[in-house]
Amino acid sequence: MTVRTIDVRERVMAKNDELAVGVRRRLADAGVVSFNLVSSPGSGKTLLLERTLADLGEELGISVVTGDVQTQNDADRLARHTDRLVQAVVTNGACHLDARQVGVALDAIDLERTRLLFIENVGNLVCPASWDLGEDAKIVLFSVTEGEDKPLKYPKMFQQARYAVLSKLDLLPHVPFSVERAVEFARRVNPELQFFFTSSLLPDGLEEWYGFLRSQVRRRQAA
Amino acid sequence: MHEMAVALEICRIAEDQAGRAGAGRVVTVGVEVGDQSGVEISSLEFCLEELLRQPPFRRAKPVIARPPGDVLRVSYLEVDDDGPDD
Repeated sequence: MTVRTIDVRERVMAKNDELAVGVRRRLADAGVVSFNLVSSPGSGKTLLLERTLADLGEELGISVVTGDVQTQNDADRLARHTDRLVQAVVTNGACHLDARQVGVALDAIDLERTRLLFIENVGNLVCPASWDLGEDAKIVLFSVTEGEDKPLKYPKMFQQARYAVLSKLDLLPHVPFSVERAVEFARRVNPELQFFFTSSLLPDGLEEWYGFLRSQVRRRQAA
Repeated sequence: MHEMAVALEICRIAEDQAGRAGAGRVVTVGVEVGDQSGVEISSLEFCLEELLRQPPFRRAKPVIARPPGDVLRVSYLEVDDDGPDD
């Protein structure tokens, strides 16, 4: 037996990251702002996108890619609020989207008519943190019905995200949840994190969020 | 499941690199998994042991190092060029 050693030193994510660079370039060339929406299951990603599509879908030219382990229920829900294609990616058991899946999904999307792209990731606060999809930024959602210490329990996700949406604020009177503590915990793991406080059920619960999206699209169009 | 995806990618890299080096049987797959990489070691080890028991590897063993930081890479392969294929 003659054993020899081969020096490899290849990053496990190298292939995904290479594909993510391609996705990022494609979106930038098309002038599209893109956000990767991540959260635990049931934090309100889909409802937030339903309202956003209904209110700003036309104005901002919003397209969506959804990722789910099974079913295309989210895509069906979102499709009711837009005449654009909502592209569903069913991961068949995988706990996250990867850049290859997003690249394939983009083939189906009319990027000429898109100025803002949301990628709704699989509901999971762990694995999607490791996969770059080629987005401009990750936005992490968590709701007031979850623990305030979510950022401490899942620090990598909160470190990777540039923005945080605290959702379901309409339920605040009914749950023992301190917004102050939640923000403090989040800033402890990521001092730069910018927060939006939202309710997708209250008529004026998304005004700050909408202002942010409008400014992001405006800035990209001006660039 | 995340660990299985990582393990599959490690195996893809190992197979690709062994092929490029014209290697015989892969004996060891050396992996570095940083303590901040978000990968659960025992789960990854379990997945790798299973995958490295199957073709094209059959009897390869994972060796996992645990450096500080978020590094996640295949660091080296040990291959046996004389070894029988099965």
